Amino acid sequence: MNLELSETQTLLQRTVRDFLREEVPFERVRSCERENQWDAALWNAIAEQGWLGIAFSENLGGAGGSFVDLGLWVEEFAQRAAIVPVLEVSTCGRILQDFADAEESRRWIEPILAGLALPVPAILESDDDFESIRAEVVDGVLTGAKTYVDYAQFATHHLVAARSPEGIGLWLVDARNAGVQVEPLRSIGRTPVGSVRYAGVPAQAVGDHSAYRALLRMARALAAVQCLGSMQTALNQTTAYAKLRKQFGKPIGSFQAVRHHCANMAIRIESVRGLCYSALSSLDSPQPSDERIDSAKASASLAAPEVTMLAHQIHGGNGVIEENDLYFFTLRAKERSLAWGSSVECLDNIAQGVAAPTDWL
Amino acid sequence: MDFEWDAEHIAFRDELRAFIGEWRTPELLAEYAATYGGSGARIRKFHDAIGERGWMTLCWPVESGGQGKSMLYNFIFIEEMEYWGMPYGNLTFTSVAPALNAFGSEAQKKEWLPKIYSGELTFALGYSEPNAGTDLASLRTRADRDGDHWVINGQKIWTSLADVSTHLWLAVRTNPDAAKHAGISIIVVPTDTPGVTIRPLHTMYGGHTNETFYDDVRVPIENCVGGIDQGWAIVMHALNHERVALAATGGLARIYDQLVDHLRTHRPERLANPVVRLRLAELKLELHEHRALALRNAWILAQGGTPIVEASMAKISATELRTQLANAAMDLLGRDGGLSAESAERAPFAGKAEFNFRLSPIFRFGGGTNEIQRDIIAAAGLGLPR
Repeated sequence: MNLELSETQTLLQRTVRDFLREEVPFERVRSCERENQWDAALWNAIAEQGWLGIAFSENLGGAGGSFVDLGLWVEEFAQRAAIVPVLEVSTCGRILQDFADAEESRRWIEPILAGLALPVPAILESDDDFESIRAEVVDGVLTGAKTYVDYAQFATHHLVAARSPEGIGLWLVDARNAGVQVEPLRSIGRTPVGSVRYAGVPAQAVGDHSAYRALLRMARALAAVQCLGSMQTALNQTTAYAKLRKQFGKPIGSFQAVRHHCANMAIRIESVRGLCYSALSSLDSPQPSDERIDSAKASASLAAPEVTMLAHQIHGGNGVIEENDLYFFTLRAKERSLAWGSSVECLDNIAQGVAAPTDWL
Repeated sequence: MDFEWDAEHIAFRDELRAFIGEWRTPELLAEYAATYGGSGARIRKFHDAIGERGWMTLCWPVESGGQGKSMLYNFIFIEEMEYWGMPYGNLTFTSVAPALNAFGSEAQKKEWLPKIYSGELTFALGYSEPNAGTDLASLRTRADRDGDHWVINGQKIWTSLADVSTHLWLAVRTNPDAAKHAGISIIVVPTDTPGVTIRPLHTMYGGHTNETFYDDVRVPIENCVGGIDQGWAIVMHALNHERVALAATGGLARIYDQLVDHLRTHRPERLANPVVRLRLAELKLELHEHRALALRNAWILAQGGTPIVEASMAKISATELRTQLANAAMDLLGRDGGLSAESAERAPFAGKAEFNFRLSPIFRFGGGTNEIQRDIIAAAGLGLPR
């Protein structure tokens, strides 16, 4: 056990934070939102930094980092509301690395590291249920429809959950194939998302049901971290505001009701932070714990709207205008609280196991 | 960063469980319940057994006769003891002994510490007064010097265990002219000193606390701990230590487990109800959320740090969860949930849910109110102006 960040981890955190502060002015985020775009320039810059390989093994050209490292990295992007598919590409890449054979892995990871390949997961269908997959692969050809595919319109490949005679597995398809049709959706998070139709598209097998479960675990833990990042910035902006904003001749941060709102936000965030990094640590261990991952995501998903709405309460009217940066975090946090398992889904999973004994330590 | 417990931690936990399994007799638990955190012959024997294993001084430096273990061991120790409801210690061990070790003179340590560990010396804490609660530093009980004695006059309240303790650990004003935090001293007073009057105040959770009165109480000058007018730092130190124990989750986890166990055994149809399962899942999630804070607090202590913000967070979350958990447990048990231990067989797990509901308010305002804790977080953690 070691709850401290290592020197390398602290350095990573600081470097990415400074880099993003410099590289991603909030005005650029606003213009991406307005134009339904992703931040392609930022992606190139990240690739140049060599950061896309953070959680890939060293013999594939990656940094050999842990899931905790990956989480720290993803959190920084969420803290800056950057519109780039860090979760999507990292999870797909890890699945390709961990489940495809060595030769294939190499073939896929190299262009990912270079920022040229952008695989994104395409899992859910119109009924929004991870257990109900109807897309089908017959003789290496995929037919079906997916919904809520983040960054679908900008991806080069889709890692699709589909059924075959062997059960549910993951399949890779070329998103530029003529049989792939993306229809953009507009979600509260204001990041790109779309529905996709696959009309007889060649698909390459990547992994079986265990690969599918692994993808869900990683993505769920990282989506919790994205909620965390948004909440952290919302709190930072709120305390900064409460120190400056004066009413009745005093900073509003000196009023006990405001102080207690802020303290409650901080408590919530600290607790979510502990659960998130515990979940990532569990992914790094030989026996990932679904309960730890579900707890992290349930907690982050429940906390996100609580924390951001308190931020709004303290900001008053200033917090709701789009010239202020707060709304990024309110909207992104809520959208991420729905992604990869909402609080209801994760609590349901915990509820399935309530009758089983818990090892509390 | 790594959240997985080391093999030695797990081994220590298993050792503790085996030890507890051996000592956890109905007689011991009955004595514990009857003395409300006081002490008796069986409890003293149990403390001896803990002492023999070196666990009383688990995390003290080796040169002070301790085991030199990291505070994570203390966390594991308290969690297991709390989980099984064992009388592993009380404020004498968790608050007075560490303060004495940190601030006492060599002579005081030599005289009192061994007697504390043998159970010969037990303390009640005398901090609060009728008009000095959250604003503790405004306390007015005074000690005046008369030759080689202190003469103490005043009144304390919430002096729990005073009637069953051998000594009082009193915060008194020794310098009325100094600023309010600067004129306070800690003085140890044997409970049987003439002029000490103890009056019980019966509580809604059973048992009682006390108010204590001091009329020309004379104790030797050397009973002052940590230097004259130096008492405020000791009070703060002791309260910090108290907060670690207050943030323990073991007892809460046990209520949850007993609740699930009771439903499984006696009300399987209720446990199958999705509304019930959702409520249980929420409680379990809240326990995990709290443990994340408690673990962070323990980790900082284990690094030799003094958690301020983290201790306040853990204290708030533990104490508010206790109320929530007891309340929800009663709701899930229905009318049975309201039955107390006196209802014998009918009361689910000996009425622990309803007992904890009655008990839970004291933790939320005790040891520094949760409102004060939130102010600490706002000031020390977030840098908000006063």
